[in-house]
Amino acid sequence: MIRVLLVRWSRYNPYYLEPEPRKEVYHIPETELTPEQKEERELKSVRPIKAATNSVTSSVFNDPVLSKFVNMMMKDGDKIIAKGIITQTLENMKRKQVEKYHKAPEVKKAEIECNPYVIFHQALENCKPVIGLASIQKGGKFYQVPIPLTDNRRRFLAMKWMITECRDNKHRRTLMYEKLSQELLAAFSKEGNVVKRKHELHKMAESNRAYAHYRWW
Amino acid sequence: MAYLLPSLPYPTSFANTVYILFFYCIIDCMFVYSMCNSVCVVAQVRPLHGSGCGQQQEAVGMETRPETVSIFRTQENDPACQSEQHLGQYYTVPASHFHTVFPHGLPPRYQQQVKTFNEGCVMVRQPALELISHLKRADYINPTLRYLLYGVKGSGKTMSLCHAVHYCSTQGWLVLHIPDAHLWVKNCKELLPSSYHASRFDQPIQASNWLRNFRTTNEHFLSKIKLRQRYVWTKRESTEEGRPLGELVDMGVSRVKSSSDVVGAVLKELRLQAGGTEGGFRLAVAVDGVNGLWGRTTLKKEDKSPVAPEELTLVHNLRKMINNDWCGGAVIATLSQTGSLYAPSSAYLPQELLGEEGFDSMDPFIPVPVSLYSEKEFESCYLYYLDHIHFHHWLQHPHSQTEEGKKELIFLSNRNPSVLERLCAFL
Repeated sequence: MIRVLLVRWSRYNPYYLEPEPRKEVYHIPETELTPEQKEERELKSVRPIKAATNSVTSSVFNDPVLSKFVNMMMKDGDKIIAKGIITQTLENMKRKQVEKYHKAPEVKKAEIECNPYVIFHQALENCKPVIGLASIQKGGKFYQVPIPLTDNRRRFLAMKWMITECRDNKHRRTLMYEKLSQELLAAFSKEGNVVKRKHELHKMAESNRAYAHYRWW
Repeated sequence: MAYLLPSLPYPTSFANTVYILFFYCIIDCMFVYSMCNSVCVVAQVRPLHGSGCGQQQEAVGMETRPETVSIFRTQENDPACQSEQHLGQYYTVPASHFHTVFPHGLPPRYQQQVKTFNEGCVMVRQPALELISHLKRADYINPTLRYLLYGVKGSGKTMSLCHAVHYCSTQGWLVLHIPDAHLWVKNCKELLPSSYHASRFDQPIQASNWLRNFRTTNEHFLSKIKLRQRYVWTKRESTEEGRPLGELVDMGVSRVKSSSDVVGAVLKELRLQAGGTEGGFRLAVAVDGVNGLWGRTTLKKEDKSPVAPEELTLVHNLRKMINNDWCGGAVIATLSQTGSLYAPSSAYLPQELLGEEGFDSMDPFIPVPVSLYSEKEFESCYLYYLDHIHFHHWLQHPHSQTEEGKKELIFLSNRNPSVLERLCAFL
């Protein structure tokens, strides 16, 4: 049995440096390097470097947001199935949009977006909440206080809502990629349950405006 | 110069200065399309079947049509007129023919692609052209020749078969297209014991489906061919001698219980009448996944013992069809590992997939290897997916349209047609 030695999550000595997966960095000729880059290169030639994770690629088609979404969809570490579902989703969205494009009259053709990546990113943007709620204890009672959210938290909430919506609230027999593509296309045009959930969160925060001063950070 | 002109079956106009060459050399027409305003010398490919393809070529050579001329598409939609100059180019199957020629038989992903793009484009490739040239030159008095397409998974065997089937149907042959022989040896819900032969089993659903599709493909032949024998189905039903074949097929579709025997009768009639001198037609038997006819099945009898392929009526009759003891047609077969049972996934050669028994039955055959895309073919496929004019381009990712993205596609797919298609689907 082949055992894979997981080196990445073991505690590396802080002496180790991060790997650089992008190809453009290595193609810059010697003459065009700035003094900092030259220093960095010399440092890298002396110090040891951490092993790169399996999810970083030097491919031109690499998308960090999409990789994060795949990781969130993944169950029991089965990335192959999760990645397969996402690729089927992208293909399904593209097919639906291209068919819509063919049926549309000439005037409307320019407005229809066929690029599944653009649709995915825009849909996620439309699902991201601007303001969130936190449970803060004051005088024995817990109040829902509106707080600003960091970028990472907003992205996480959008993806989480999208996945739970598709897993729970749809018909049992439809496949995941079908559910996801319907939900993403709806979110792209600002309809659908996920965008509704975001609006409800905003309304709750608006209604609890009075407790905003309970936040001390 | 009139005395030098041969008597051509179509009228030539003397207004254009066209020099007819007597030796049939094929010049590289890739450059003719781009330089056609200056070139007056056109190689007239002598049409073997007297169709209008020579006139088409003449018309294209004379006019300049820069906006519709592209490297990867060709206007030559008739498989009979395609030659090596069209290698790597896509031709469109006319929409009117599409549902009659291919009611079944196309790979499922390709059917999805046709639905999305609203057009069915097939690439002209070397194995299909070779097959078509053999079909053109064979003499149909000798016993049937059997052609076997083999290659790695996803290299385009089924599409080459469909190209040959399109050729046969445009030439007016009767086409017997079995979409996948593996579908007859696995996943059968109903296995009835055969009424005709005690030890055999019938498959009513598969047989009636196939008869329905056969009826769609060969409408015009059904009334012309007359039966030469009387067939008795039950005590009350029989089909008399001299009735048209259409009646037999309709009976098979409606009476599902005896549809497997109807299939057997149809195959027997066609075999007897194919090479006939009066009202003779040519018969093309196209079988996909022919290695399913020999080997093992996953079907079980009621006492849980396995069913051998010989014990299925459909398989038994099809094997008789593939034997070369009849004349007046051709048998084109494809090996397929994808649907096959109990075969390792790395097997693709005829010896491995057909097994001893299958190879002995198919022997002698003409092997036609189908390889992965060459550089020119890959280029053509890539440009087809990037096509702006005919449809909104399929490759949407901005990076896939750069050189870097193209190199990455070559690396990821290894120029395998089906892998490339799956990659471009989500990019």
